[in-house]
Amino acid sequence: MTESKAYNSNFSLKINTPIVSVKNISKRFPGAVALDNVNFDILEGEVHALLGENGAGKSTLVKILYGIYSPDKGEIYVRGRRVRINSPKDAIKHGIVMVSQIPQIIDRLTVAENIILGLEKYGLTSRISEVRDFIKVKSKEVGIAVDPDIEVWKLSYTQKQLVEILRALLIGARILLLDEAITFLPLIEKRKFYKFIRNFVDEGGSVVLITHKIYEAMDIADRITVLRQGRVVGTVRRDEVSPDDVRKMMFAEKSAQITYERLPTSKPRDVVALEIRDLWVMGDYGVHAVKGVNLTVKAGEVVGIAGIAGNGQKELIQAVIGLRKVEKGNIMLYSEDVTNKGVAKIRVKGVGYIPDQPARFGVSLDNNIEENLAMLPAITRRIIKWGAVRELARKLINEFNILTPSSKAPVKLLSGGNIMKVLVSRELFVAKRLLVAYNPTRTLDEVTAIMVRKIIKEKAAKDGVGVLIASEDLDEIFQIADTIAVMNSGKIVGTFPGDKANRDEVERLMVM
Amino acid sequence: MRSIEVISYILTVAPAFMAYYLASLGQGFFEKSGVLNLAIDGVFVLGIAVGYAAGVYSGNPWVGLLAAMAAAVLFGMMLAYVTTKFPISHGAAGLSIMFLGYGLAGLIGVTARSTYNRLVASGIYPQYTLPTSPTARILMFVIPVLVGILFYLIETRTKLGAAIRAVGENPHAATALGVDVIKIRLIAALIGYSLIGAGSMGFLTWIATWSEGAGVNHGWIAYAISLAAGRHPILTIGTAGAFAALATYMFALQAAYNLSPEIAKMIPFIVAIGAMVAFMATPLRKKLAPPLSLGKRFFKEERTV
Amino acid sequence: MVLVKRIKPLPLGGILIPLLSIVIGILISTIILYVIVGASPIITLSCVVSSLISPEIVLTFLFLTILGVALLVAFSGSIWNIGAEGQLWLGTAAAAYVALFTTLPQAPIVAKIVMVLLAMVLGGAWAAVAGILRAYLNIDEVPVTLIMNYIAYYVINYLVRGPWLGKETWGYIRTDMIPDQVKFVLIPGSTTITYEVLILAVLTIALTYFMLKYTALGLRIRILGSNPDALKAAGVNVRALIITALAISGAIAGAMGAAQLAGYLHRISYPIESHTANYGYTAILVAWLSMLDIRAIPIAAYIVSALYQAGISMQIAGVSGASATYVFIGTVLLTFTVLRVFSEYTIKIVRR
Ligand SMILES: Nc1ncnc2c1ncn2[C@@H]1O[C@H](COP(=O)(O)OP(=O)(O)OP(=O)(O)O)[C@@H](O)[C@H]1O
Ligand SMILES: [Mg+2]
Repeated sequence: MTESKAYNSNFSLKINTPIVSVKNISKRFPGAVALDNVNFDILEGEVHALLGENGAGKSTLVKILYGIYSPDKGEIYVRGRRVRINSPKDAIKHGIVMVSQIPQIIDRLTVAENIILGLEKYGLTSRISEVRDFIKVKSKEVGIAVDPDIEVWKLSYTQKQLVEILRALLIGARILLLDEAITFLPLIEKRKFYKFIRNFVDEGGSVVLITHKIYEAMDIADRITVLRQGRVVGTVRRDEVSPDDVRKMMFAEKSAQITYERLPTSKPRDVVALEIRDLWVMGDYGVHAVKGVNLTVKAGEVVGIAGIAGNGQKELIQAVIGLRKVEKGNIMLYSEDVTNKGVAKIRVKGVGYIPDQPARFGVSLDNNIEENLAMLPAITRRIIKWGAVRELARKLINEFNILTPSSKAPVKLLSGGNIMKVLVSRELFVAKRLLVAYNPTRTLDEVTAIMVRKIIKEKAAKDGVGVLIASEDLDEIFQIADTIAVMNSGKIVGTFPGDKANRDEVERLMVM
Repeated sequence: MRSIEVISYILTVAPAFMAYYLASLGQGFFEKSGVLNLAIDGVFVLGIAVGYAAGVYSGNPWVGLLAAMAAAVLFGMMLAYVTTKFPISHGAAGLSIMFLGYGLAGLIGVTARSTYNRLVASGIYPQYTLPTSPTARILMFVIPVLVGILFYLIETRTKLGAAIRAVGENPHAATALGVDVIKIRLIAALIGYSLIGAGSMGFLTWIATWSEGAGVNHGWIAYAISLAAGRHPILTIGTAGAFAALATYMFALQAAYNLSPEIAKMIPFIVAIGAMVAFMATPLRKKLAPPLSLGKRFFKEERTV
Repeated sequence: MVLVKRIKPLPLGGILIPLLSIVIGILISTIILYVIVGASPIITLSCVVSSLISPEIVLTFLFLTILGVALLVAFSGSIWNIGAEGQLWLGTAAAAYVALFTTLPQAPIVAKIVMVLLAMVLGGAWAAVAGILRAYLNIDEVPVTLIMNYIAYYVINYLVRGPWLGKETWGYIRTDMIPDQVKFVLIPGSTTITYEVLILAVLTIALTYFMLKYTALGLRIRILGSNPDALKAAGVNVRALIITALAISGAIAGAMGAAQLAGYLHRISYPIESHTANYGYTAILVAWLSMLDIRAIPIAAYIVSALYQAGISMQIAGVSGASATYVFIGTVLLTFTVLRVFSEYTIKIVRR
């Protein structure tokens, strides 16, 4: 948010010919019109931000450009010529390459194997070794060092995204589609990416950047196109508009709800909701990810864990909720020892859990809202009382203003933001005593994200629920937390009262 | 003297080895592409019947071999096509092709057998099994093993191999990486099923004559052999050899060790399950685990949040 | 040509698609039978039509209904139990044990109940093995359940040739006949249908319907098929769930095994491979044809049993062997498997 260094170039000096033009594209899905007569130009040598609320159709548009979805109608022109993109293979031929939030490379293949798959000049009978030197030379050139023979599952998330970028360059990308590709990256890596993107467009490439962080877009984009409910609201030059103008385009009157002010500090009760004592937890790769963490959450208090991704927050949260084994130490829930009791036992004691990736760990997309409620052991024991469940569903739909055809519509028909609301409302309902959340708003647009934070805060203040929230988004932590704990390399390296914490100090501890 | 006996014992196993090894090699190769291959038993049985029929009608077992391979490839590619083009259950598609294979095999085989009987009655003895001279038997070991090594190299060293593994692991990601999933799976079916077809011709040579139900369950044995070796072309040499020896000397073994035939027949299947347990419970998991998307429905426009 | 999702499911797709598949499948079969063995299309089609109204199919229909429900339970959770065949034969063996080697048959009602219960326990346990391997080691249940069918065959073969070999067998390798009083009771006018099997079929459908619709267990099994990770995070023990789903599936199949013994087989003959009606495999088609809707299971069972019968009557008409049955089933199922896609998807032609 406070990022201020501009990476925009002297864009206006270039000859601006559209390298890709999208004309009158429409695409419908069951339950949603994802794109409705969309026109969109990508110029040579520009960074073009594509913004919009959840479900606006951003991903659908770039997936059509990359040949994953086929449009119901409309045309695509590359360098003025009508083209048909029926598969990523076709897209790659035109120099269009997409990189998304979740790395689309294959874990059990090596880097070289992953890359050769997109290289047309190597036929099916080519040996993998033929591409190895090419990768080595090229990766030096662009400054991304990778061992071509390493299997991808051994790489960290950041390294995987780097491989994706390297791959895009090696297969000759001229138009790079980044669909929230840098959202999950730690701050330092993000900055590297910005530089990299700048170099890429300076050499004549084009970038489409999808993000929910307006400031990110303002920092590096030359032009901005905003989508709302599948329609183009407008395309503007970055230097003509302010962040608030863009937000108005994105959210219309709802943009007034956007604020990064601290939510009022709640008054913690005198009861300890959660106490973590000298906690040790193993990570995925056989080393300790959490190393002796001590932490207390009082009833009615929101404790926010700040930290760069991969410093043990995920493992800590999973251990608290019972999804990951505790090696050593204790977790006390209202003075009751629940260490290694398992999710089921912990959750029925009135513990709510909001994971990141709601569609994967939160709800079942094929089932409807009622079923997604009834599935919780905290709501149904043995026999389902559908009447009561329906009642509850209606109540939550009203309270949270969930947009859905009915409580019996499969959740997959809802937009991302509304799916998140289903999850949050359910978890707040069961969180009678403690709420645990991990990056609860990462994929949400600003309006929805702020709404979710407000609801969580209210729950703590009003109902005296203890809240433990880990987030890689400092704006979020500073907005919501009564107490900020900084996590680094598996340890808590500093604790501050939310209203007195110094942002620079917190950031320093995060990267220390 | 003794060594000659040993060699002749080993050579006796040759047709069974060829049949099982080729079929399980093809099975593993095809499944690496992510299509759950429950059609194998039916197509194996069909291959035997078609090989037999083509041999009888042409009098040339090599025509039989080609016909068996062609029939197997036809159905294998059909399976690969429908499971990739449409988001349908691999199990249901595979099993329906299995039933179809059984049915067609019965119809074709019975018809060919009556032709054969008619020819024999008029003094013609058409040749429908592959030659089984000692030299031929040695080749029945050597050629499949060479094919196996070749397959290992294809799988691990070439772009085709990487593409097949990619579509087996994650067809959505593979598409995004620039792979044409349907083309790769069709190629995997073409290659894999031609081996399965060749294996069924080997089986016909082993059992020497066609009768109704010939080969039923032996496709599943090939399936088990492939699983037991984690679909690894080289390891499959070992499991196929063991199963072939067991099958060839079943009766001798039973007599020698006083083994009940039931127990003897059970062994391959228990070994297969044991092998799966061994792979998944130990670090071998990373190397020999089944393709991640094996049997998963594939729809390109799936929402992949 | 690309496949895209329909905005709304095809109207009446649930009825039209199965019907169309049957018609297309039978037409293809008729052509195949004509081309390969020269079977007259008239005879083929009349065999199929007469099978649809043949009373012979009732028993097969009942058995396939029960087994179809058994598989439906597992399939609802995307657990592909291919092992109903083995689970049902173990049920048969369990029932045979009670009937032949215990003193229970002196109290026939108790004996019948114990036969069915023990069959359920054994069938359930057999299936649970695959469940445990899947739950704890993530081993694919398809090969395991399939392979365990063969192991079940051989175990029972072993028993029948060895310890269970009957005294009055006239040289056949088989067990003795089970005592008359534990045989199921035929309904008047039928030589195969028994009261007990009817009760079993009705109970199975009713209880399973209730379980899937009104219990947390049923709901969670259904969700297991779409998102096990969400269940885990919700606090559901997913391992136990997988094992339970398979165990229930196997238990129902086991019950049907007891019914097959007490209902009409009355003894086990060696070897199982050649005496089985393969109901366990055929039921896969039933579950699949039902589109995993329990109300459609009886309809699917009816169609499949009619096709079965059609094959048999073609054999009697001297046209061809059991092969005809396989061809019918294979073509109808394959057609259906592909066509059913179009209830939710549609094809769009795109130019290259
Ligand atoms: N594969 C799909 N199947 C069905 N519906 C889909 C699919 N992909 C997207 N949709 C729907 O289309 C609409 C637009 O989705 P899209 O993913 O393009 O939004 P987005 O702008 O990328 O949103 P977000 O910021 O949440 O990623 C949404 O209502 C979504 O539910
Ligand atoms: Mg998106």
